[in-house]
Amino acid sequence: MGSAPIVQAPAFQGDLVRLRTPERADSANFVRWFSDPELLHWLHLSEGPQITEGAWLKNYEEVREDPGVIVWVIETLDGWPIGHLGLNHIDPVHFRATLFISISEKDRWGQGYGTDAIRLVLRDAFERQNLRRVDLITDADNARGIRCYEKCGFVREGLLRGHRLRYGKPLDMVQMGVMREDFRRGA
Amino acid sequence: MISESILEGEKVRLRPMEPRDLPRFVEWLADADVRRWLAALADPPTLQDEVEWYESTRENEDNVLWSMETLDGQLIGTIELRLNPVAQRAELGIAVQDKTQWSKGYGTDAIMQALDYGFDELELNRVELTVDEANGRGRRCYEKCGFTAEGLLRQHRFVEGQFGNTVVMSVLRSEWEARR
Repeated sequence: MGSAPIVQAPAFQGDLVRLRTPERADSANFVRWFSDPELLHWLHLSEGPQITEGAWLKNYEEVREDPGVIVWVIETLDGWPIGHLGLNHIDPVHFRATLFISISEKDRWGQGYGTDAIRLVLRDAFERQNLRRVDLITDADNARGIRCYEKCGFVREGLLRGHRLRYGKPLDMVQMGVMREDFRRGA
Repeated sequence: MISESILEGEKVRLRPMEPRDLPRFVEWLADADVRRWLAALADPPTLQDEVEWYESTRENEDNVLWSMETLDGQLIGTIELRLNPVAQRAELGIAVQDKTQWSKGYGTDAIMQALDYGFDELELNRVELTVDEANGRGRRCYEKCGFTAEGLLRQHRFVEGQFGNTVVMSVLRSEWEARR
């Protein structure tokens, strides 16, 4: 009897952060993070229902068995979870994936944790997973996020008009992408 | 879901897809010319693949699928709206699979019907699509339907051994209403 494969993300350590596989015990942090309106302001989740522990655990089990998704918890080097990031739409046919990230402890914003974490994941995407392209979309008014993504090698590729809603109103989003060769040049 | 709505334009009719349509899709999609612009289909699907696709789409509330036929009832392809209800947007997918019916305006007419349905019935704010940068015929058709290019995804698809770019296009509710 076989069971579905569980995609285990390798753990990484950078200059400021450590990335590790999420565990069931992380649910309390995620539920707390995703109930913070200031954080949700920047996330697609802002328009959905409040995430419950049950919903998070269900999603956790689905993601564990989905070869198209990898998620890491971001921890400070002294072991405090401060957010998460990952790749989804991992597509080995077209050698690409989409990045998502949230530094969810607000007192850690603007200190380089996101940049450090993204560089680790891009290295994994381009070197170990042999992808050629990683893309993302972010709110057009998320200047801090966009600066961070540009530092990591992402380039603006377009402006998606009214791509999501925030508080019920259409919001433009920026499309960005980084190619393996851009990353290698900058890394 | 398989749409229950029948939408009739000047040249084509969108109608609920039926299992008996599937063997024609298999036959048409065996042709590399037909698959060339469909990024999701590197290999020709088998009948089993198409049956599984049909069954899974039927179960998916957020995917509205029609078969496309000429007004005299000849099946020519498929069209679908993949919904993101929280964002009030949808992604349009269209394939005139019978290549003897290309360049007759069927795709344009079908898209207009699907856009009317999306903005009026589904109350969408935005309909988007992606198209291979090299697919000039497709891009012209989408522009005729009111879509605007708003981004270029570099090296986004690997087709026939080469990387190609993808164009993102969209039409907004406000633009659609202004066209009437």
